[in-house]
Amino acid sequence: MAEIPNKFDVIVIGAGPAGSASAYYLATKGFKVLMLERGRSPGSKNVFGGRVYVAPLREIFSDFEKTAPIHRWVTRERMSFMYGNELVSLDYEGNDHKSFTTYLSQLVAWMALKAETAGVSIVNDITVTGLLKEGNKVIGIKSGNESVKADVVIDAEGVNRLVLESAGTVPPLKPSNVALGVKEVVKVNPEVLANEFGLGDGEGMAWSLMGDVTSGLPGGGFIYTNKDSVSIGLVMLLDNAISGANDEVYRYVERLKAHPKLNKYFKDSRIMEYSAHLIPEDVWSLRPPKLAYDGLLIAGDAAGFLLNLGYTYRGVDFAAYSGYLAGKAIEQAHELGGMSAINLAAYPKLLDQSFIMKNLKRFNGTNKLMHNRRLFTAYPAMMVSLMKRIYSLDYESQKIFNTVLASAKENGVGPFTLISDGIEVIRYL
Amino acid sequence: MSAAEQRLEDILNNDIWDVDPNPHITVDSEKCKNCNTKPCIRLCPAGCYTMSEKTLVFSYEGCVECGTCRVVCPLEAIHWEFPKSGRGIYFRFS
Ligand SMILES: Cc1cc2nc3c(=O)[nH]c(=O)nc-3n(C[C@H](O)[C@H](O)[C@H](O)COP(=O)(O)OP(=O)(O)OC[C@H]3O[C@@H](n4cnc5c(N)ncnc54)[C@H](O)[C@@H]3O)c2cc1C
Ligand code: SF4
Ligand code: SF4
Repeated sequence: MAEIPNKFDVIVIGAGPAGSASAYYLATKGFKVLMLERGRSPGSKNVFGGRVYVAPLREIFSDFEKTAPIHRWVTRERMSFMYGNELVSLDYEGNDHKSFTTYLSQLVAWMALKAETAGVSIVNDITVTGLLKEGNKVIGIKSGNESVKADVVIDAEGVNRLVLESAGTVPPLKPSNVALGVKEVVKVNPEVLANEFGLGDGEGMAWSLMGDVTSGLPGGGFIYTNKDSVSIGLVMLLDNAISGANDEVYRYVERLKAHPKLNKYFKDSRIMEYSAHLIPEDVWSLRPPKLAYDGLLIAGDAAGFLLNLGYTYRGVDFAAYSGYLAGKAIEQAHELGGMSAINLAAYPKLLDQSFIMKNLKRFNGTNKLMHNRRLFTAYPAMMVSLMKRIYSLDYESQKIFNTVLASAKENGVGPFTLISDGIEVIRYL
Repeated sequence: MSAAEQRLEDILNNDIWDVDPNPHITVDSEKCKNCNTKPCIRLCPAGCYTMSEKTLVFSYEGCVECGTCRVVCPLEAIHWEFPKSGRGIYFRFS
């Protein structure tokens, strides 16, 4: 780091969505920003599922749609419940451009380039190993034996928050805090996207899968269509996976691709990349004691800002927007005369007023819901047997109500459990 | 190549690393002798943890840096850091 000046207004740890958005905003406001990334280039260490909601990004980057790496707009949503060789799907075909598919590696590279063009100094290949402190005040960062000073540090290091752990700001991760996501990006024939997925030019699909794809472990599968590839993967809550995963995790993805009802989407496909990453799951226990300290703000996954609704994830837009709000808070603190925790208290306030905290509060029971194993075992099975009873007939048709109770019973769910689980789903989702 | 499941080695062959000569993760396999469940073996997505005879063998080269082993190891047998100087996995399409 010899050639870097040794004092900045702001240092950002990690060039992910949170870090890049904060750095970009601050540079446009004239702050001297240094962003440090442990990867060889921004994007090279980032992994996600496949879909980003656009509105928050459009607010941060005004010309977002013009040059951002948007693969396809999600016009088609599908949710499937799987059991054995059968599945039941809910399919929605819309027209709006509210979310798009991409590779996070590409999107992050784009965001970091925007930041660099706005004047941010980005240094790659640097792993930050600790915070530089003067008493309780953060005054910079350390990387090995070297250090750089700044008025304020934004920690946007993601979910594996080794820096915050080493500073004693947060406890080590526990299995119940996180989920493991494993993913393959596979090259597919353009005809598969047109004919099997039924997508027109620029149209994309987001597909969530529940049931025995995870051998009944809480979690689920996902499929996203990119420009000329498909992202397919699985998410498993780690605490359940420890006791319940009876096979090597990569095999679950391979099995999903080979599923008799899914393999047509992957015929003649070729793996382009294989990846895995942790996901914040129990976001309330992941939340650091404070979000603003003297000289330090925490944004993105490092702060546990992620919404998992089972059928969709929102992490990238949450991360980017929290970084953007961290930037705004620093701007305000600067006007107030310095980067003390008191002056930076605008950050948690801005977050509270934003869609981030409103969503996290609204859905604060989803983590409990995700641990209800019946949602991933009995109910998908029940949906399949219900449809089978209704549609797969020889002579006599069945009444739907009786069929629901019968398939519930067949899958070991009594009427009271059915009602109480139903209430839980309605309450939390 | 379609319906058949692929081997992990072949899957990982599609990835790119710049392997650090110094391991970023080290395992105290003495501790592993007292570990009954060995969750690292099934849960490491890159298959870095395997059993040979009766000892746990760890190889860091194919690590995709997810952090799972660090979180699931019940006996604190793992010393885990990120690779230094930009080394390790290089994702392009993830
Ligand atoms: C399998 C999976 C599926 C997902 N699906 C979706 C989805 O479909 N849609 C969605 O919106 N979100 C999704 N998410 C969540 C989303 O990926 C994250 O919420 C988002 O990437 C968080 O951004 P971040 O900037 O906080 O952290 P990260 O993206 O993790 O970025 C952190 C950056 O900091 C760098 N870094 C870390 N430590 C250091 C250090 N010590 N020194 C220097 N640099 C460091 C890293 O290299 C990285 O570049 C998914 C996540 C996973 C794992
Ligand atoms: S989980 Fe930890 S203690 Fe157990 S075998 Fe793996 S590394 Fe060793
Ligand atoms: S960090 Fe992930 S990929 Fe690397 S050894 Fe641990 S579990 Fe395996």
